[in-house]
Amino acid sequence: MSINKQAYSAIETIVGGKYISEDPAIMEGYRSGPGGYENGTGYERVMTTIPHAVVMPKNTEEVQKIIKICNRYNVPYVPYSTGFYGPRTHCHVENELIIDLKRYKDFEYDDKHFYFDVGSGAILAPLQQEALNKGAYTVIGGGGAQCSAICNLIGDGWSPLSHRIGLPHRRILGTELVLPDGELVKTGSLATSDDPFWGEGPGPDLRGILRGFTGLRGCMGIVTKMAIKTLPFQPEPLVPTGIAPNTALALPVKRVKWLNFRVPTKEAQIKAMFDIGQAEIAAALTKVPLFWRAIAKAEDKEEFWDIWLKETEESIANFFIVRVLLVGYTSEDDMIYQENVLNDIMTELGGVPMRTKPSDESWIKNADSAGMWLMTGSYVSVDYIIESLTQATVHGNTYAELKKKYTPPLMPDFGDPGWFQSFELGHQGYSEFLIYWDHREDTSGVDQFYVDTSKMNIKHRYYTSLIGPHQPLFLTGPNYGPNYHEWLLKLKNEFDPKWVSHPPVPLAHDDFVNKAPWMHAIRDWEFPEELPMPKW
Amino acid sequence: MSIKGELEKIVGKDNVSDAIADLNLYSQDLSLLPPGMANAVVWPANTEEVAQVVAYCNENTIPVVPVSSRVHTQGSTIPKQGGVVIDLKRMNNILEIDLSNRLVRFQAGVTWAQLTAALKEKGMRAIMPLLPRPNRSVLTDTLEREVTTNMVYDYGEPTQSLEIVWANGTIFRSGSASVNGFPESISRGANPSGPGLDFYRFMQGAQGTMGIVTWMSMKIESIPKIDKIFLAPVKDIDYAQEFLYRILPRRIGQECVLLNNVDLAGIMANKAEEFDELCAKLPPWTLALTISGVQRRPEEKIAYEEKFLKEVLHNEFNALPLSDKLPGFPGLGRKLLPMLRAPWPEDVKYWKNSLRGGCQDIFFIARPNKVSEYIEIMDMIAAKNGYPISDIGKYIQPIEHNRACQIEFSLFYSPDDEQEKAMVAKINREAAVALMNAGGFFSRPYGEIAPIVYDRAANYTMALRRVKNVFDPNNIMNPGNVCF
Amino acid sequence: MSVIDKKFGDRYDTPKTPVAFDVTDLNNFYYDMQHCIKCKGCYWVEHTYSPGMNFPVRCASNLWNDFDAYGAMGKMRIGLGVQDGKLEWTDKLVEILYACTLCGACDVGCKRNLDLEVELTLEALRIKAVKEGAGPMPAQKKIAKNIELKGNHFGNSEPRLKWLTKDIKVADKADVVYFVGCSSAYANPEIAQATAKIFNAAGTSFMLMKDEKCCGNTVYSVGMYDEAKKIAQENIAAVKATGAKTLVTSCAECYRMWKVDYPKLLDISTEELGFEVIHLIEFADKAVAEGKLKLTKPVDMRFTYHDACSVSRLCDPWKPYKGERGWMGMIYPGLLRRRGRHGLYKQSRNLLNAIPGAEFVELIRVRENSFCCGGGRGTKEAFPEFAQFAANHRMEEVKAVGAEVLVSACPWCKNNFAQSAKAGDENIKVMDIAEIILAAVEI
Repeated sequence: MSINKQAYSAIETIVGGKYISEDPAIMEGYRSGPGGYENGTGYERVMTTIPHAVVMPKNTEEVQKIIKICNRYNVPYVPYSTGFYGPRTHCHVENELIIDLKRYKDFEYDDKHFYFDVGSGAILAPLQQEALNKGAYTVIGGGGAQCSAICNLIGDGWSPLSHRIGLPHRRILGTELVLPDGELVKTGSLATSDDPFWGEGPGPDLRGILRGFTGLRGCMGIVTKMAIKTLPFQPEPLVPTGIAPNTALALPVKRVKWLNFRVPTKEAQIKAMFDIGQAEIAAALTKVPLFWRAIAKAEDKEEFWDIWLKETEESIANFFIVRVLLVGYTSEDDMIYQENVLNDIMTELGGVPMRTKPSDESWIKNADSAGMWLMTGSYVSVDYIIESLTQATVHGNTYAELKKKYTPPLMPDFGDPGWFQSFELGHQGYSEFLIYWDHREDTSGVDQFYVDTSKMNIKHRYYTSLIGPHQPLFLTGPNYGPNYHEWLLKLKNEFDPKWVSHPPVPLAHDDFVNKAPWMHAIRDWEFPEELPMPKW
Repeated sequence: MSIKGELEKIVGKDNVSDAIADLNLYSQDLSLLPPGMANAVVWPANTEEVAQVVAYCNENTIPVVPVSSRVHTQGSTIPKQGGVVIDLKRMNNILEIDLSNRLVRFQAGVTWAQLTAALKEKGMRAIMPLLPRPNRSVLTDTLEREVTTNMVYDYGEPTQSLEIVWANGTIFRSGSASVNGFPESISRGANPSGPGLDFYRFMQGAQGTMGIVTWMSMKIESIPKIDKIFLAPVKDIDYAQEFLYRILPRRIGQECVLLNNVDLAGIMANKAEEFDELCAKLPPWTLALTISGVQRRPEEKIAYEEKFLKEVLHNEFNALPLSDKLPGFPGLGRKLLPMLRAPWPEDVKYWKNSLRGGCQDIFFIARPNKVSEYIEIMDMIAAKNGYPISDIGKYIQPIEHNRACQIEFSLFYSPDDEQEKAMVAKINREAAVALMNAGGFFSRPYGEIAPIVYDRAANYTMALRRVKNVFDPNNIMNPGNVCF
Repeated sequence: MSVIDKKFGDRYDTPKTPVAFDVTDLNNFYYDMQHCIKCKGCYWVEHTYSPGMNFPVRCASNLWNDFDAYGAMGKMRIGLGVQDGKLEWTDKLVEILYACTLCGACDVGCKRNLDLEVELTLEALRIKAVKEGAGPMPAQKKIAKNIELKGNHFGNSEPRLKWLTKDIKVADKADVVYFVGCSSAYANPEIAQATAKIFNAAGTSFMLMKDEKCCGNTVYSVGMYDEAKKIAQENIAAVKATGAKTLVTSCAECYRMWKVDYPKLLDISTEELGFEVIHLIEFADKAVAEGKLKLTKPVDMRFTYHDACSVSRLCDPWKPYKGERGWMGMIYPGLLRRRGRHGLYKQSRNLLNAIPGAEFVELIRVRENSFCCGGGRGTKEAFPEFAQFAANHRMEEVKAVGAEVLVSACPWCKNNFAQSAKAGDENIKVMDIAEIILAAVEI
């Protein structure tokens, strides 16, 4: 069995023989796991497979033509820019086509008007350097500097820098979206001209179908081109130093500086976040999980565990760091002002400054997400949610409590409650909970924990990032909105009646729970006998 | 049973009417659009009543026209296909002011006057457009993306969670308020996004065509401890723009506006004679920039911002006389500064309607370095149609560190003069086309501009209609607006 | 008892399995192949050093062919497929494995954040391909034959010492033996001559091998393990027989073979070779620092420098490893991994910055982020189009920094770049570091 032959040769005519293949060795290179984000899980084993063909178009026009052919010949497809997001960005059904967008690396930068216009193949690290060259910056999402900028902006797009810069949704400007049936929609100012500089409208904003917090994983069409806002930074260069693995950006400390403070209690840590937000200072404001410091120090997993296993529940529970990035946006005097205000707050809270390197290993240019796999070999974030500081500062503890039930197979972390930080100068708070395991062990507990967190969030009335395609839609749907899933499915059926675009997303996790026997005990919500989607 | 009878069962006898006198109040507004009559008007007390009214109308394919403000200028609330006006003015509660998370949650009927007073009591403020009408719904203006005067907060967009009544009469909460049991939940509704889709985006700029938003949570800011206003007379608008390109990315200031003599005179004048004098004497443009010291060490913040401004002016823009006074107009700055932080006073006729009575605004988003070009186009079309250029109000609002701006041209006319009205309507249409052709982006087109824009944005419009078809298959939500 | 055992007893009792850095068995790298996270650190210039949208990539193979299979993240998955018997050896699969210079960018890139042995996996894959009759490429088999029959890469029948001119003083016995290498001997005599003259100018006595034979770089690189091991044993014996304490080479590939792959083949550490192995760069840097070599003659040019892979990412000394892998994938005992930290970056730049009268500008991708020339290890012979593509791409970078001359430290780089420069229109000169050093020495 393979991709329909007529479809294959029609697509080949569009891109040329060099950019399409169905060779088994090439297909194997597009396998999702077993390593990678959310890989080494039952979801990956049960739900993913290798493609039967891969095509690499170079622009929106080619993508559109390919999609129309797929619709005509009922060829399921999945859009793919770097493949980093794990199983959810890989084929879920047989005889599927991967549309690999890496060739679309177009790049134009209007630095006077603070945006770059890029294709799906452009990743964040080089774009950040282009921005820094012009005294601007953008967010390197927690997913990492290796992520496609477009994918990151329709699925993630936040980091500690969001304390100042805010929700990524607003950085999306004029965008080209190829709908699942091949129609092309241009949003924002691109709707009425060739200039992508403005993102809203016209009228009701169709950027609403791009995200829905953490994205639709490519089941609602393909974003091929996007203008992305940059934000003003400061003019001094950040100089790369060191030799791998010990590289970092040397910071111009009169304009850019990280500061770490140790505060006496969790309450002080939380109050620091609120107070710093109220004071309207800082470019980043975060606490990080203690084991990340161990990762940063360790060169390999043996060294990590040597450092980490010296900790205990008590040492974790009594360790409170507030990490602050100051940027003198206006001038050096701006930096001095912010530092004075910060010191005032820390004095009030009993915070003690700790020695901090005048460099940035992570966040400004290199979100070192790859380091997350160092400790155990497998990793996923079970939440990366923006809400208020009120939620963010307690959320992690609820996770940590639930996690005890599932450790092992999850890594022992002595109850570390994940990380939280301030976003939008304290108007929002962010919490993320990360789990790690060795996928050579029995991973059923990982799959169960994953869905159990969704139930936990529903029970405790937390907002969560893992909605939409990330968790069973029939579990989360009735509990958020309520019934947001009905609208999502209606819109999906409107734009993709054949479900050719990345089937069976957004019902993929429902499908997984049905297919995996070890998930049946946990499946205690109402779900239809037949999932409402065409069968592939 | 009649429509009125059915509605009475839902909202009570006193809160529904089909009397002509009542319906007339909703049949027209301050725009140039022709009047339209509804069949009934209801004044619901709460979201459940709104939902029941909408459910009934949907079952019977009766249009609904949601109204939240007490005054309207774009024609969006004129019933275009009859139906039921749902006036949310009784739903004017401020539900919570959360000082820790700096958010306010309030119903659709809450006005600028009401909200700013309530926030001020708590030492807080909302970031607002220029002199909003005091009896406009804050929720509506925010959803309609009215551009604000303060662009220093990178995160922009104050909207957070929404409560929505869909066309099928179901009640929904978007954003992080979607959690079950909100507001008795740990989630505080601070995130606008999700769940599953960004519903809030569909509601923005929608003029009530996608659903009825009954409450919103929104970001609020602290009232600064110290404020200073700087003013500069401007002849060369391009030079002023280069200055703004230089300083606004350095995150200087809070409010920043550029007003021509007509607009500024209109705002500042207490009476008609004063307007004429001011109009004649004011410089062609005035740049107003406020800087503020916020909660901690406010003097130090003022000091470093002032120092930076002085250095830039001295070294790079010494032809721009920015200072704490506008020469020839003593006290203008002191008067203007608090005005920038408050809605228009309730007991004074709105400045745009004081001049000749009627006002047609033409507003769009543009690149700041093209401002001159757009002004030229506007002047040319106005002149061509016999409208005196010297009477046009002009307002430039820098947005997002001046990477863009909103340009607003105001054409004043007498509402009793049919010829004048026709001329202004013609200029509106012609100018919109010409400005669009030159790259101006009409991100929220109303009235007669809407079909021009949605026609041009053909594929976008098609997709929008498909989305509308999902949320409102019977097209009962305020039909005849946007592109529906 | 380890810390883990002490703390947790049987709760975390993953059975230990043996593991060794032994490339003759691909199964030793099963864990590594299983744990590639597809972050493409193997493809991109390390993010901290990313220069922007121009030249952000350091994997020549995957830039030449965009399918994921051609990058290390694809090859790791393919390797698993091969080891699990899921993939058959086909021409395409062999092409994927061999259209690659094993430049080490992927290995170093991955090790920026993780501890997977990517380079060793790729070597082991080739060894498996050869063992199972699928590899190497026909052109590479020819090279192996040349070496077997004529003792050199080219199958050239001429005397190996024909490069030696009368004005060069060679000692019969010395502490230093100069290993010339096939390319300098036959294709780039100017490099051998310059190197020898540098020894003379520094007053360092040196020997030549009586019957120098190919180091076996291509033979090992394409996976012909047994043949390469034989060459290694013979060559080491030959050097020991000379009594030399130090072997100096001017070819980066020879350098890597002697310093890293010979010990690997013999399952010993670099230290245990019995003699020191250094590159001309190290020799000259030390000689200049000690005042023995004086760089005083002005050289009027604006030049840039290409960090050849084998004197950069690939030349950390070798240490064999045998142990066990257990809980959470940890290996016992632990080890300090080879991450390309010991590239000759400082030494080369000491020299280049000391060339009087010349202007030295760095390329955009330098040191461990360097972009391979595409020519080495038998790749050019098997995939001439790929080698040309890589060299052309690097030449664009040379033009971008405005250099007139490109200097490298490997004759394979020099020849591949020279071919590209000749075809181009900018008239860029290509030199070896030996030549530019000699140009600065008053003879």
